[in-house]
Amino acid sequence: MIKNINSINEKKTVQSKENQLTEHFFRNEYGKMVAVVAKYLGAEHVESAEDIVQDSLLVAVEYWQHHGIPENPSGWLYTTAKNKTFNYLKHQKHKRKFEKESDTDEAVHFNFSDEQIADEQLRMMFACCNPSISEEVQITLILKILCGFSISEISAAFFTNTDTINKRLVRGRKKLRSVDLSIVSEERISKNCDVVLEAIYLLFNEGYLPNRKNQSIRTDLCLEAIRLTHILASHPIITQKVHCHAFLALMYLNASRFEARVNENEGTLEMEKVDRSLWNKTLIDKGLYHLEEAQQQGIVSNYLLMASISANHCIAPSFEETNWKEILALYDAWLTMEDTAIIRLNRSVALSKVHGDDSAIAELKLLETRIDLKDNYLLHSTLGELHRNANHNEKAISHFERAIKLADNERDKTFLKKKLKGVVPL
Amino acid sequence: MKEFMVFIRNEGNPITDLSPEQQQAHVQKVGAYIKRLAEAGKMKAAQPLEMEGVLVAQKNGGFVDGPFNETKEVISGYYHLVADSLKEAIQMAKEDPRFEDGEWRLEVRPIMKVDGIN
Repeated sequence: MIKNINSINEKKTVQSKENQLTEHFFRNEYGKMVAVVAKYLGAEHVESAEDIVQDSLLVAVEYWQHHGIPENPSGWLYTTAKNKTFNYLKHQKHKRKFEKESDTDEAVHFNFSDEQIADEQLRMMFACCNPSISEEVQITLILKILCGFSISEISAAFFTNTDTINKRLVRGRKKLRSVDLSIVSEERISKNCDVVLEAIYLLFNEGYLPNRKNQSIRTDLCLEAIRLTHILASHPIITQKVHCHAFLALMYLNASRFEARVNENEGTLEMEKVDRSLWNKTLIDKGLYHLEEAQQQGIVSNYLLMASISANHCIAPSFEETNWKEILALYDAWLTMEDTAIIRLNRSVALSKVHGDDSAIAELKLLETRIDLKDNYLLHSTLGELHRNANHNEKAISHFERAIKLADNERDKTFLKKKLKGVVPL
Repeated sequence: MKEFMVFIRNEGNPITDLSPEQQQAHVQKVGAYIKRLAEAGKMKAAQPLEMEGVLVAQKNGGFVDGPFNETKEVISGYYHLVADSLKEAIQMAKEDPRFEDGEWRLEVRPIMKVDGIN
């Protein structure tokens, strides 16, 4: 009899289940749990919430590696985190017993339902994007608290050291402590949606910059930006979702061309040389879906225009067959909303395709007189290209040389030197 | 066939230094390692241990219950292995992917067996 029990126990101690974790499961659950636990502890205890969640993950690591992944890993983690939160609150209450009777009754309603998670993640997002917090600190907080990135992962993504990220977090958490999470009201959330989108856009762009260094962590930044926007897009509090959809469209459409931009041997590729069969069709379809959702409202935003431009590139069978007229019209519409040198610079490619290189060159010559753009390497590299296409070789060479001088990193310099070489007839 | 106890020892817990993403990778690879050995009949049991506990000892004719970790190193889990030889058991321990993620020490100890008795 005893022997039987032993053999049953032995069987149970090694895993028999085949359950798998979804990709980034730990990271995503970290963000969800911290948001919910922080709600109960208060914003001044965000760090304690992070500790509780980190502890819960630790138990999961120890237990799951020996016993296999449970059938409902999220539920398993939530129960663990809930118990640890109760213990923490009980301990706190005990500590403050004679100071103030703290109210742990609320803990009775503690739960990790989908609605609760969505609510608290949203609230935390808005708390992190509080206007009193600088943008770079905002996205650092988002990555740490909501996305479950470690400090060294964040520093790798931003090409900086862990000290810098640590300092940003200390500054950010100090500000967070003064934010009362419970008064991040519905009205404010609906109103300040743009501020949050802007922070997420920065996050996306940080990951999107063409660079082969730390590529995988930076792809993750883009995925996280998309995931966070989906939280906004699917939450009932946000009634005006058109910007969310336009923004999702933009991110999906840009991300679809992400990997094809860089070639193993040649580094960053020019758009006309990119192998379009490498573009990710699934992401393009998702982008087009959200673009349609955004267009239905008839509200034009810069995100919508950017997404539409990106869509035109995505659906063009080749660089030559791109609908440049449409793209130029979109840029023109964008200029009526915000007229910046960078937009004009990007518009010049479409301009040259529709009205010829000379008119694009004339437009850029006008821009060159603007102080903020005089020493911009992109201006000179674009001018170099336009002159090359128009067979003004000497001018092309001088602009490319100028651009190489002005470019601030090796990657861009190498890219431009290749272009310069291409001008000189062999 | 011989049996072995493998004690997983560590100072502090190296898993706390991993990011959630790395922790997930750790669970998946160590889990796969244990599963593979279990399915091959080479792992009879594997359990993690709590980081707390009590050391029961006798002193001056009475019992003393004290904290067990006088040293910083603790046993955080064990494997019960089946192998042809100590050499094979050592090889199995070396294959534990946890070594990629921190400074663990695996203590491999043959379970005592007396020829002709057990």
